[in-house]
Amino acid sequence: MPIALITGASRGLGRAITHALADRGWTLIADARRAGDLTAALHGLAGVTAIPGDVTDPGHRARLAAAVAGHGRLDLLVNNASRLGPSPQPHLRDYPLAELARVYDTDVIAPLALIQLLAGPLTAAAGTIVNVSSDAAVEAYPGWGGYGSAKAALDQLTSVLGAEEQPLRCYAFDPGDMRTDMHQQAFPGEDISDRPEPETVVPALLRLLAGRPPSGRYRASDLAAPAGLAAPAVTP
Amino acid sequence: MIAAASRPPEQRGLARDGVRLLVATPDGCRHARFAELARFLSAGDLLVVNTSATVAAAVDGHRADGRPVTVHVSSSLPDGTWLIELRQSPATTGRVTDAAAGEQIALPAGVSLALVRRYPDADSDRMWVASAAAEGGFRGYLDRHGRPIRYSYVPQAWPLAAYQTVFARSPGSAEMPSAGRPFTDRLVTELAAGGVVIAPITLHAGVASLEAGEPPLPERFTVPTPTAELVNLTRSAGRRVIAVGTTVTRALESAADPGGTVRARRGWTDLVLGADHPARVVTGLITGWHDPEASHLALLEAVAGPNLVRGAYQAAEQAGYLWHEFGDSCLLLPDSPALAWPGLVPARYAMPVAAPAGLVPSHPLTAG
Repeated sequence: MPIALITGASRGLGRAITHALADRGWTLIADARRAGDLTAALHGLAGVTAIPGDVTDPGHRARLAAAVAGHGRLDLLVNNASRLGPSPQPHLRDYPLAELARVYDTDVIAPLALIQLLAGPLTAAAGTIVNVSSDAAVEAYPGWGGYGSAKAALDQLTSVLGAEEQPLRCYAFDPGDMRTDMHQQAFPGEDISDRPEPETVVPALLRLLAGRPPSGRYRASDLAAPAGLAAPAVTP
Repeated sequence: MIAAASRPPEQRGLARDGVRLLVATPDGCRHARFAELARFLSAGDLLVVNTSATVAAAVDGHRADGRPVTVHVSSSLPDGTWLIELRQSPATTGRVTDAAAGEQIALPAGVSLALVRRYPDADSDRMWVASAAAEGGFRGYLDRHGRPIRYSYVPQAWPLAAYQTVFARSPGSAEMPSAGRPFTDRLVTELAAGGVVIAPITLHAGVASLEAGEPPLPERFTVPTPTAELVNLTRSAGRRVIAVGTTVTRALESAADPGGTVRARRGWTDLVLGADHPARVVTGLITGWHDPEASHLALLEAVAGPNLVRGAYQAAEQAGYLWHEFGDSCLLLPDSPALAWPGLVPARYAMPVAAPAGLVPSHPLTAG
């Protein structure tokens, strides 16, 4: 069965993707910063190896790569773990630069570091890289200059990787607004219950994996199912 | 008896261009110093040099069962994997032949190397295609954690600078393109002033430790447009195209069409020169002295013919030339016009070789 590594698997979209792939028989390696949250989020799932840690920690990344080496194969890397930055999000003229550097570390440097570490097995499997992006990467929302510019950098990194790594599929996946802890952080004190649950975005991601369209940036809304069709079976 | 040069000539009290030069022509062999190279060339001759710089391509690691091993990284491959050789550590004298696909080699700083498949086929026993997992890329990792490849005939470690030629610009050779090592700024100036033209190619040399019967490894190379044009111009003018090294020969011949016209080329070459694929472009060769194993000799003979090459090796052995990357040199001129060489008295001691400023010979100049 195919093997995937998913970062930030304890909450939100990462948790939803992990559950969806585990339910379809994938073997998974999953991480999140908080061990307790990760264990709770993955409770009851078969075939999931949980490795708690911070993706900005090279030692943790090496442990993830060692887990992949233990399986001897990797079909899919989902760089989902992200840092929003301070909440509420400051405007750029007031953005603390040390905070900005931490956002870039998590949202740009760490995903590339994992890609560098895992390029061998991903290439061998003609696999897929999914870097989770945001509409803040392309829209100019006041307050989103830190997170948005980091995701824009991740988008472009994905785009160039798609040109450089021919056997691989490299996707920047923009899920759109979701009712997640991160979204709540971005809108502290506001009611976000009108946003869709992250589970509603998963079918779009599954269609991306199953269809293997050319590398590029895809919005979940562009990958909506034709009416009456269920999510496809995903096997690489 | 063949003696290997066990240390750089600068450590033997010689300048780089103080090593010996055997000039082999159909008229016979002459003995000289490399610094006298200009005496044997003519205005309009084209010297083609390799601008590949040597990288720190050896790194120590451990096998899956804990045994130490030395990895020699020969080259990158087009798909991002690496061609490597496993050697016993620490002696690096013997090969490792019992590795298995899927084995992980643990390298310093937590980096690992996964053996993907044997190269070139399942029957080969020491070259591997390997996948490296290193943040920031494996090339940069080797810069930080590697050292120059060294074989047992060089007992002492020398810095990477000892393994760079004066032409080195583009890092990528696992082993020094050593034919260019005796060149110095002064000699290049003298050649230029005498009308000898110098043009660059780049070929990143792989590990040279091939056994009899093993085909040469694939190597990455670039022949730029101006160099291709100069080669074609030189040939059409009836002048000599002299390759500085077998690496240059391989690059130029890889870029030549069947009619001998050279085109700009960039890519990997697996060209094997020999009796059934003679050199079409190169009409002279400067080379060091290396083990006359099959593929090396075949390449030399593809340029200079078997008689000239064998005569040169015989003369070099009789005269005690030093071998390998720090050793003496040879200029093969197979279709040399009868040159009016000045001073055909033995040239070995004809020109005292001064050490460059700042480098004090540790003992008086010797015959090498």
